This record gives sequence, structure tokens and C-alpha cells, in this order.
Amino acid sequence: SAKYCPILTNHKSMESLFIHLIIRGDKDEHAVLCNEDETYDLKIADTSNLLLFVPGCKTPDQLPDISASPQLVHAQIWGFSNCYWELRRQRPRLKKLKKLLMENPYDGPAVGMQEEAPGPKYTMDDLLERIQASREEIEAHLQNVHACEIDGFWRILDFDYEMKLLGHVTQLVDSESWSFSKVPLSVCLEELGSLEPKSMIEHCLNCYGRRYSNEDGQVIYALDEDKVCRATAQLLLQNAVKFNLSEFQEVWQQSVPEGMSARLDQLRGLALLDRSSKPETISLLRIEDLPEDTLERFNSLFSLREKWTQDDIEPYIQDLCGEKQTTGALLTKHARSSVQNGVKVYNSRRPIAT
Amino acid sequence: MVQIVISSKAGEGPAEWLLVELQGEMVSRQNTGLAGNLMGDLHYTKEGVPVLVVGHHILYGKQVKLEKPFDEEENMETNQENPTSYTVSALIKKKLIFKTRPKPIITNVPKKV
Repeated sequence: SAKYCPILTNHKSMESLFIHLIIRGDKDEHAVLCNEDETYDLKIADTSNLLLFVPGCKTPDQLPDISASPQLVHAQIWGFSNCYWELRRQRPRLKKLKKLLMENPYDGPAVGMQEEAPGPKYTMDDLLERIQASREEIEAHLQNVHACEIDGFWRILDFDYEMKLLGHVTQLVDSESWSFSKVPLSVCLEELGSLEPKSMIEHCLNCYGRRYSNEDGQVIYALDEDKVCRATAQLLLQNAVKFNLSEFQEVWQQSVPEGMSARLDQLRGLALLDRSSKPETISLLRIEDLPEDTLERFNSLFSLREKWTQDDIEPYIQDLCGEKQTTGALLTKHARSSVQNGVKVYNSRRPIAT
Repeated sequence: MVQIVISSKAGEGPAEWLLVELQGEMVSRQNTGLAGNLMGDLHYTKEGVPVLVVGHHILYGKQVKLEKPFDEEENMETNQENPTSYTVSALIKKKLIFKTRPKPIITNVPKKV
């Protein structure tokens, strides 16, 4: 026999004619409900009231205004319930996506006659089976991590390989004396196609540039200075625990393509500056390496550094904000503020082992 | 991981049902269970106030538009091969809520002699 289960929704889209939702979760995860582009937490709620479901039962506004003879209408109660499911919009749990793809990063086509070394590979359907997020959220995140589809499988590039591809492109731009905003696709594929697969060259351009067409209908890319400089900084920073800030800035500027400006604001969410040490230092701290859960994230940040200014901590907590929540509200909730040397700083509400 | 699909029946959107919310518990007279029994009569006054008569009690309620609509899902039979899936049977956008204390209906009040 059929069982009924009421779900309390909070979104107008649930009223659309064709509903298609999916509940996802592993045995050890809280279930989430996804539509095409959003993810919701599912929580069961109890009520001491009795909820009766009556199909077709009309309310006064739906009944004809006949004051003549009384009408008797039979309505059947289809079912009843004492509990229901509540939906609450949440940010999708996407950290697992990168973790899965990093099991087997792609570092170029197999050499010679060899087959590519075996390793786990995931199609989009595989990812939908494993990740608690909607399809569109997964697709957006795949773009963020510069993943690409190779032979039907979604692959993340090994970082050194990605930098090798970028290096080919920027060296070509330099030798051809092109403007950074006018990099023609066809010439890139022609000149670099012998070094790397054309699909990889094009993927690199898609990741680090904006694609458009010129008056002659040719496909052109405008390289993104911030993305190129940021990636170059990561390449340098991942080689040591800490760098002398001024030395780093010098090397970094020399490493980026000539004509591009390396600026510290390009490194938000990627690197942490320590202006209190002498000399000032800089180290790699990527937001994607930090815990996904809000409490764990704050604990992790406070164990790295006891006191943070809002400006320093903001890039590392921005993604934790709920709908209509500000980072200021998050800090009020999870941290304690004080004033140090005339500057407002935040520290943990609870004792942290450093 | 489990994936449970919820979809509306092909070719049509979900129907609209009414939710009737009562405070307390509904029991059948001789504890024979609720299925198949008559629960009571629902009336509307001229002003549109819902009135429920259950047994010898009368309850006054009101119609409320739900800020957050309910989706009513029907669970289909699961068998070994197919994963569980649900169809949306109905959407509930308003309810009749009966929060006031039920009043006993006294039909025969003896007159003072």
C-alpha cells in the first residue's frame, strides 16, 4: 500500500508543473534534497498536532455562492501524519568532488604506445551518485577547479601540468608580441599542437582567459591577468613553508609574463601574509585545503593564528555565509572580538590547541 | 550513496489538496482504527468560518494560507531492482486549523420548570 510523507517546502519553484527532485546521501551523511541547481538540508520535524490530508476538499472561496439548498459533499481523508520533513537551503558539500578527482589527476597524454596508468575515473553520473549537490552546482564547481572532460570522464589536471600548458601559451604570446587581450585560438592550436593535445591547449585558454569572437568571426581569448598571476604565485609558494615577503614579491613579479602586474590582492584565499613578523612573511594557505564544516573551519583558522583582523579572515570564511548572511554576522557568532594596537581583531570563543 | 528520485506524474502537475490540522489526537469510538470510518462533518458559515462536528463535539477553526507550501509525496512499492522513488501526489497551499477547545453539543437542555 502507498505511504505518504509530507515535505514542507520554502521555494516557489516547487509549484512548477513538472517537479524533479532527488534525495542524495551516503549511509553516514545527512540526506539532502536537490533540484536542478540548489541543495537543501532535510530534517524531520514533529508536531503534536494531527495533520489530515483531504484531496479535493474545497474551501469557502472555492464553493459557489448558493444560499438556496444546503449541499452535502463527501470528502475522503487520504491520510494523516504527526511529522513532516523540513527543507532548509544550504551550500552544497563540494569538497568531496575535488577529493575524488585528485585520486587520479591527469598529467598529459600517455607517452608512446603506453596506455594511461590505471586509476579511478568518474563520469558525470558517477559524480551525481557520490556528491551531495545539484547537477548545476557540480558543473559550476568543475569549472572552478579547472576540470575537463576527457573520454567521457571528468579529470582534474595535475597542477604542474596545468602550469606547463599555461607556460606554452604565455611564451607564445610573448614571442608573437600579441596583446594579452587578443590571443587567437587557431594560431595557438597550430603552433602548440605539436607539443600538447589541442584539446588541452584550448582547455588552458578557457581556464585562464575569456573567450570571444572578433569582427572577422575568429575565436580570440583575453587572458585574465589576475588568474595568471595567482597561479604563478601558487607555483612559487607551494615549494616552501614560508617566504620572506619582499623577496617573494620580487621573484613573483619576475615570473609572471612581462606586461602583467603581480599584486597582493590577487592572492586572497590563496596566501596568508604575516605583517607582525620581522621580516614580513607570506605562506600558502588555500581555502580548499581547509575544513568544509563551519565550526571546524573556524577551529582550523584559529589554530593557525590566534588573532585575525576581519580583512585577513574574510576570504577564508566568505563561502560559509548562509543566504543573506554577512561575514560580520558569522564572526559575531563564532568568534570573540577585541582591540589590539587600535585594530579590531577576532579570536576563538573556545580554547584552541595551537 | 542512495539517490531517491521525486517526480510529478508524467503529463500533469500535482493536484492541490487541503490540509486539516487538529490539536490533539483522533481516536475511533471502540478503538477499531480510523480507516473506513466517518470522521465528522465540515461546515462553512456564511462568513467562511470552518466548523467541524466530530462525535458530539463542535470545533471552530480558521482558514490559513501556508507561507511554505507542503509537498505531499507518495511512496511507491520498492522492489529489489528499482531504487525507491516517490511521486508528488499533491501540493498543499492552505490549511484549516482547529485550535480552539472542542465544545460538547448539548441537544436537549431541560427547561426549568
